[in-house]
Amino acid sequence: MEFTRRISQLLHEDHAATIALIEAQENMIAAARATPPDANDPSIRETLESTAALIDHEVRHHFTFEEDELFTRLEEAGDVGIGMHLREEHAAILPLGERVGALAAAALEKGFDAASWAEFRNNAGELIERMLAHIQKEEMALLPILDDLLDGETDMELSELFAAEG
Amino acid sequence: MTNAALFLGGAKQRLLPASLPFRFFVTAAVFHAAAWATLLAAAGDLPGFTGSTGLVLAALHLMTIGVLLMTAMGASYQLLPVATGAPIGRLWAIRLSHLLLVPGTILLTLGMALSGPTLMAAGALTTVAALVIFTGLAIGNIRHAGKAMPLVAAHGWGALLSLAVFASLGLLLVLDFSGGFLSDHIGLARAHMLWAAWGFMGLLAFGFSQVLVPMFALARSVPRRVGWIELTASLVALFAGGIGFAAQIPALVILAGVGTLAGAAGYLWQMRAALKSRMRKRLGTPFVLIRLSWVMLAAGLGLALVVLALPSWESGPALAGFWLLVGWLLSFLTGVLQKIMPFLASMHAVGRGGRPALQSDLTLQAPLRLHLICHILALVLISAGLAFSVSPLVLAGAFTGFLGSLGFLWFAIFVVSRLR
Repeated sequence: MEFTRRISQLLHEDHAATIALIEAQENMIAAARATPPDANDPSIRETLESTAALIDHEVRHHFTFEEDELFTRLEEAGDVGIGMHLREEHAAILPLGERVGALAAAALEKGFDAASWAEFRNNAGELIERMLAHIQKEEMALLPILDDLLDGETDMELSELFAAEG
Repeated sequence: MTNAALFLGGAKQRLLPASLPFRFFVTAAVFHAAAWATLLAAAGDLPGFTGSTGLVLAALHLMTIGVLLMTAMGASYQLLPVATGAPIGRLWAIRLSHLLLVPGTILLTLGMALSGPTLMAAGALTTVAALVIFTGLAIGNIRHAGKAMPLVAAHGWGALLSLAVFASLGLLLVLDFSGGFLSDHIGLARAHMLWAAWGFMGLLAFGFSQVLVPMFALARSVPRRVGWIELTASLVALFAGGIGFAAQIPALVILAGVGTLAGAAGYLWQMRAALKSRMRKRLGTPFVLIRLSWVMLAAGLGLALVVLALPSWESGPALAGFWLLVGWLLSFLTGVLQKIMPFLASMHAVGRGGRPALQSDLTLQAPLRLHLICHILALVLISAGLAFSVSPLVLAGAFTGFLGSLGFLWFAIFVVSRLR
């Protein structure tokens, strides 16, 4: 996908990375089913490390940037509804993401037992679904709107800010 | 801005009360089961079916009006205002159109099954009254879509024109069963089928695919220029075929065949481009049906051309019609409904802990798997039964299709039961 604004492209690349991780999580859950996977397996370990890092850093940064810098601009331009809706979704996703990130980090240290794996599966399953629906809305609605709304100078400022905070 | 951007950007604000679209979807699921059950009773007559009244004609119209048209109306009422950003009009008119379409379908198909001209005429008139209301509401809405989504709107105009043509022809055909005033009933019946299947249902499916497929697959919009070529070819096919069938001009019928193939090629090219650029790799069960529908569209059109070249093949027309109606349109619609019913329900329902509802809590995988397996099996069995004129295979296929339709009905009732 190509966007005309740099900031839309940067956010899109973040989404693509998140979807790749989500699909890795789906594969891990689908392969293991109810049996806890071996956290020392290199591919499991890689997915867990990415999960812990993504939630802790990327998602919070991504969400905060959108809420502080983008939704406010949309609201100033008169488009209140979409920012409000996406903020609601952020509020549902973030605590869930933090929980999944913490469970992934714990599994990297101690591995999974039946209870921690069941908890990870349940929470990650919900996170995957909420995150996919959320990215769908941002890709299809938010980013194209930004492409139309922003001028070149604002786009440059926002892109630098996003990269600097990232 | 992309079509899907406009679509999702306005989705929350333009939702109809859930009861409105869902009454059409659940009714369609009921008629779906009724259509397969009727076909089960008429399995022996299907191989040589040529359009006369009886159970096969009733099953055909339970499927086309009861399922396809019913779903198209419900989906259009919900999707059009979201897509165009304009209101759909008065909600009581939507309810009235449903109230008319249900008895209209029952009377018409009962009349066909019993070869009762009066019942058929009453059913046809009631159905046409529902279609007039639908057309009025859709015209009022699409008038506002031109600038926002010209390609989707153009498909909508084409579909509405087709609706006017196929409904008028249908009414004439029904009245002709008692009056016998048409000199070429079969020719007009073919034109009616072309404008209904390719014109109304086909153009609606092509138009809404521009929005829905990229949205479901997380892909960028489909190539629009190819979409205009597809639409032009489709319209050429409709006019050429309509005149060709009605006036028995073979050259125009062949032109219609070429037009449908070109239109389908353009559409499939667009869908391929959309899926190629998608971010989401796992598309799930609904896309098995949607992809199957695309294969059956190409196969059905190819077979229809073979049938034109081999008029002595007795069961050829029934097989080609079955591939297009059940293989293409029914597969596509049931696949799309599996996505949009939980999607719409999630916008109305409240999830756990007051959070937005999860679509997975609003869907059931087991009945959908049952439907998928039975639908594919029914396609295979009935196709084999028609190709080799083996009625027990048609019977087994119809039974399997009926089982699958019960799975789909179970899913539809479950989704509705989860609405607040």
